[in-house]
Amino acid sequence: MAEASVAGAVRPIVYNDAIVKKFIIAAMFWAIVAFLVGVYIATELTWPSFNLGLSFLNFGRLRPVHTSAAIFAFGGSALIGTSFYVVQRTCRASLFGGKALADFVFWGYQFFIVMAALSYVMGYSQSKEYAEPEWHIDLWLTIVWVAYLLVFLGTILKREEPHIYVANWFYLAFIVTVAMLHIVNNLAVPVSLTTAKSYSVYAGVQDALVQWWYGHNAVGFFLTAGFLGMMYYFIPKAANRPVYSYRLSVVHFWTLIFLYIWAGPHHLHWTALPDWTQTLGMAFSIMLWMPSWGGMINGIMTLSGAWDKLRTDPGLRFSVTAVGFYGMSTFEGPVMSVRQVNALSHYTDWTIGHVHSGALGWVAFIVFGAVYYLVPVLWQRKALYSTRLASWHYWIATMGIVLYIVSMWVAGITEGLMWRAYDQYGFLQYSFVESVVAIHPYFVVRLLGGLFFLIGALIMVYNLIQTIISPTTEAPRESAGYPIGAVPAAGE
Amino acid sequence: METEMGDWIIGVMMAVFGLIGLFLFGRAADGEMAVFGASLAAFSLIFVFGLIKQNYDRQDVARAQAKDSSHG
Repeated sequence: MAEASVAGAVRPIVYNDAIVKKFIIAAMFWAIVAFLVGVYIATELTWPSFNLGLSFLNFGRLRPVHTSAAIFAFGGSALIGTSFYVVQRTCRASLFGGKALADFVFWGYQFFIVMAALSYVMGYSQSKEYAEPEWHIDLWLTIVWVAYLLVFLGTILKREEPHIYVANWFYLAFIVTVAMLHIVNNLAVPVSLTTAKSYSVYAGVQDALVQWWYGHNAVGFFLTAGFLGMMYYFIPKAANRPVYSYRLSVVHFWTLIFLYIWAGPHHLHWTALPDWTQTLGMAFSIMLWMPSWGGMINGIMTLSGAWDKLRTDPGLRFSVTAVGFYGMSTFEGPVMSVRQVNALSHYTDWTIGHVHSGALGWVAFIVFGAVYYLVPVLWQRKALYSTRLASWHYWIATMGIVLYIVSMWVAGITEGLMWRAYDQYGFLQYSFVESVVAIHPYFVVRLLGGLFFLIGALIMVYNLIQTIISPTTEAPRESAGYPIGAVPAAGE
Repeated sequence: METEMGDWIIGVMMAVFGLIGLFLFGRAADGEMAVFGASLAAFSLIFVFGLIKQNYDRQDVARAQAKDSSHG
């Protein structure tokens, strides 16, 4: 067990870094799986015969493998790993529950991912987006998640720092809210205890509302709050600057937490959902601009006085670009939530472009930034194997995102306009298949974008492996007695 | 102390999961549940073996440290 000993003022604290390493390795592995499956299903969408006529290669089965691998396997592993790293440093405490509990969280979570993926390719699904696993896999995830909460909360409770650094607030909000969302949305009655089939306790429009209350808050609390925790720790650390405004970070936290939970109904515009509920979802989505941009400004301005580091530190460049994409996608989201805009954008590929500007630009980039920072620290290396390779990764991945989202914007608006076009007799001007033919070139461009992103990630993995297997040349950057990221990193 | 207690709690929990896995595997009404049950049983077994190994590893380290300090 590779552990970092830090001499505290009273007694040495032994951090469990072995578990952080495991999660980082898992995150990198699942990143490649997620991107690879994404590229494959993008190929299927462009040329459907690529499913080879095999049921388990069908788009309908592989699509949840891609989304779950990206969100829960890659994103989740990165979140849990970094949260364990951050909470130990900022609380000056080793993980609560000892090695066995932390190991259970790691292996239990990986088991969940593998079981979920297997069930998808075997054709089992609850048919709820981002909540596809059937009841028994949901129960298993609940057990693992409670164990995760125990470790995280227990560590905060036994902390030796009086202050709870803001990154931990975001991580804790992510853990608690995801638990609540997961349990409520997955309430179901199994056909029998030995059958992998269940029926939701909700029906009709209530089912849809609960699903999108879950779905949008999976974005808000899994893909936003958790990664904001990452931002608030790793950007100040990499830039060696305090957070621009600690007060703004606290305002950011409470406003985001309060507003996000109401925004789900914007996924159900122009449906059987009551009108006032749709308006409520739209209004709260627009209000979300303020905390989102407050957080973005806080993240970017943290570089005040350290902008020169963007030239030399590709990891930091990833993190700051991620914050830029966070600002962009949290601007685009509220725009799309306006009912009139939604009438054009909904069910089109614009939504897919929006999701990927968040998932690739914000989520993946903030993880890459954290990983480029963490790997040399955890494996006690002086620096990355190659800064130049990391730079190549940055530019290839950025080009990939641009190709992806621009092609999906154009495709989406094309679809929206074609679907609503009427001729002089009041008939629809285009058949559906005509819109499919019209957007085919953009699907090819999207595929290229995904391929670029995958190539960039492969370069990163090669670079990280070389960093790890290269001989130790220097003591870790963070071996000093002061706990990493403790309150001074927050600018106090 | 915390480690030992944690090991026991997790160990017992995993044993229960292993039995549940065997039950699901034995009585599965469909292929997915059979795969899940068998995997859960195997996962639990391997995890408990891992806990046992770690316990002996810790004893070895403690023994080596005691030996070093008595020689020192």
